[in-house]
Amino acid sequence: MAEGALAGIKVVEFGQLVSAPYCAKLFADFGADVIKVEPPDGDVARRMGPFPNDEPHPEKSGLFFYLNTNKRGVTLDVATGAGRDQLLSLLSDADLFIENYRPAQMRDWRLDYDSIKDANPNLVMVSITPFGQTGPYADWNGYDLNAYHLSAGGHRYCGRPGESPLEHGTFSADFYGADAGAAWGLACVYGRDVVGSGQHLDVACAEVVAAVFTGCQNIGGYAQSGHYETRTGVGMPLGAPATILPCKDGHVWMLALEPGQWNALAKVMGDPDWMKLDQFQDMFVRAQNADAMYPLIEQWTVEHTKADIMQWCQEAGCPTTAIMTVPEAAEQPHLKERGYIRQIEHPALGKMLTLGAPFGLPETPGGPTAPAPLLGQHNDEVVNSESSG
Amino acid sequence: MAAPLPLKNVRVANFGWVWAGPVVGQTLGFLGAEVYKVESRSRVDINRTLPPFGEDINDPDRSLQNHAAWAGNGSVTINLKEPEGLDLAKQLVAECDVVIENFGPGAMEKLGLGYEALKQVKPDLVMISMPTAGLSGPLKDVRTYGMSLSSLTGLDSITGYTGGPPIPVENAYSDPYNGIMGAFAVLVALTNRDRTGKGQHIDYSQQESIMQLAGPAFMDYVLNGRTGVTMGNRHPTNAMAPHGVFRCAGGDKWISIVVANDEEWAALRDAMGDPEWARDGAYATSKGRVADVDAIHEQLAAWVADKDNRELTELLQSHGVAAAPVSSIADLLADPHFKARGTYVEMTHPLGFKETIYGGYVKSDKFEAAVRPGPMIGQDNDYVFKELLGLPADRYADLVERQVIY
Repeated sequence: MAEGALAGIKVVEFGQLVSAPYCAKLFADFGADVIKVEPPDGDVARRMGPFPNDEPHPEKSGLFFYLNTNKRGVTLDVATGAGRDQLLSLLSDADLFIENYRPAQMRDWRLDYDSIKDANPNLVMVSITPFGQTGPYADWNGYDLNAYHLSAGGHRYCGRPGESPLEHGTFSADFYGADAGAAWGLACVYGRDVVGSGQHLDVACAEVVAAVFTGCQNIGGYAQSGHYETRTGVGMPLGAPATILPCKDGHVWMLALEPGQWNALAKVMGDPDWMKLDQFQDMFVRAQNADAMYPLIEQWTVEHTKADIMQWCQEAGCPTTAIMTVPEAAEQPHLKERGYIRQIEHPALGKMLTLGAPFGLPETPGGPTAPAPLLGQHNDEVVNSESSG
Repeated sequence: MAAPLPLKNVRVANFGWVWAGPVVGQTLGFLGAEVYKVESRSRVDINRTLPPFGEDINDPDRSLQNHAAWAGNGSVTINLKEPEGLDLAKQLVAECDVVIENFGPGAMEKLGLGYEALKQVKPDLVMISMPTAGLSGPLKDVRTYGMSLSSLTGLDSITGYTGGPPIPVENAYSDPYNGIMGAFAVLVALTNRDRTGKGQHIDYSQQESIMQLAGPAFMDYVLNGRTGVTMGNRHPTNAMAPHGVFRCAGGDKWISIVVANDEEWAALRDAMGDPEWARDGAYATSKGRVADVDAIHEQLAAWVADKDNRELTELLQSHGVAAAPVSSIADLLADPHFKARGTYVEMTHPLGFKETIYGGYVKSDKFEAAVRPGPMIGQDNDYVFKELLGLPADRYADLVERQVIY
């Protein structure tokens, strides 16, 4: 197989759960040598499901498997002098050190940036935590849910008025933090000669979302006028139709904003008379009459399947899509044809499916080819050979 | 003194529009790259037309959210429908390392700016195309909006109140994520280019990148055949409880509380004054708590209902319990943590008004991110066309006059 795009880059990951492991996985997807350092009892994700048949087993966590493909794994007890020395030895010729422990914990272990930078001045250290290394919340305990809701992502954009703001059913803030850590971390390796040295990058998951998502769309207006909005439970309150509607076998994301899209939807729905009425003639007026309009559209959607609605709308020029369930998304012929669903053999889990790389590089294809490491699987080849060699 | 920015030797032509494509340029620009968004007054990017506007004056150089989304990009104006405009665009690409675009598949080819054409003028070009569902495959021409793209990934099907229907996310949550991931993709390809001398055309499917966020639910399908369900704010793989958001005193005020392990459960009991209900032996383990999560959440909701979410956060954190206030938009600007970190910065726009945008959303101990106000349309025309491309003054004036540079 051709060399990966990041061949020659060495990453040491000292992470658990989602953020740092996913960040390091992005490097592993494209051929960097990623060594994952776990405590003797393993990354906490090993004790979290999904497990086959819901039976916990440290080598059978689907979450751990998904986030740690293509990595080599070693165990070190960094609370001991020997373990810490072995980690520093791994860092001595590494390009990146990606970690997500609480700052106070890293200081206790004397693994904070100031304590390790002399071991390798070229090292780019990427710390990804819910709240970051500085600021009044730096020493707070926190997880994805705390970070996501501190960003106003749910309060502004997800949930019904009067009911609780929602996370998205996944680790949104952790993924955003991993995303930012990967881009900025690789930039600092790419431009290390320009900068003149390695450095410490401080990624606060809450801040990333509060900046690029909620901040981007709201903060300028709020700072100027003091006015702000909160969640409505409707996809787009100011234009319509633009929301999720039920259909015969699930839901569709109904969108018909521009005149051509609305006309296309009308055609697909058989040109009902009500769609020609004045109160439905542009997206803003339709939004004002949404309470009257959505039930009329719904009468039609509940008679048809999401796949039919999506196909008919898309063919006619209306961007409505099916809300695919996870299995429907996974089984799409489109993704199969693109090679996005990958099969990997894992020693404990057997033949497994996982997702391919997040983007395609035709000259240097990436994605998972090797399973997540067993606990301490590469201790001999990584730690012992390097410390003796 | 601050160190030079890592990408200062990288130049980018950004044909990206609306949100995701411009954020690729922004990320590279914050890190020091010289980025020119290529746009035209002949068809103003819709993102420039979105309110609110600086000083409430409706003008494509005053859209406040646009400036936050695009800051870090420069801007040149080229009317690509004019053959001479096309030539100018190619001359610019020849001087660039990277081209960014997020139109539908084939749109750049129709303009005469496809990868094969651009490779002729810049053989080791790194080009990123980021349509909804990639450059190939049966769904490649699917049309979505940023906010509905995640419908194709399974993610939307698991966003909602426990057991209820999917609840829409009311903005394009995936756009800035893809913008940042697009910058990572560009840097991966640039790293490879520097080592091998070869550029390439990145096939960035926004669907595939966002589907990674549904990975945990995907694994439950692979391992157990489960469909995935809405779970409110519960832990996505049901491994932690309590794990939720609870209403506090004062209206639309909430607190998030997570207990990840038995030690943190003991800390929460302590913080609550060890009420009778929490002493249930079944709750001493994660498994027992997860099994009875609804009852635990009900008790917590009652306990927090009359408390201030910030004071309660301080109390819980002092015991080591993971808790944080749920912010509203208003809370963001006042938040002491975001203030201390400089998450938001006030800039003076060249037109004279103040605008608040976000700053470098990752902090470096060596450099300050290159954050500037959002770009004015064509603000870099003089430099790019006269100095970088070396157009004689009369030729430049002529192209402006005939609205080729426009």
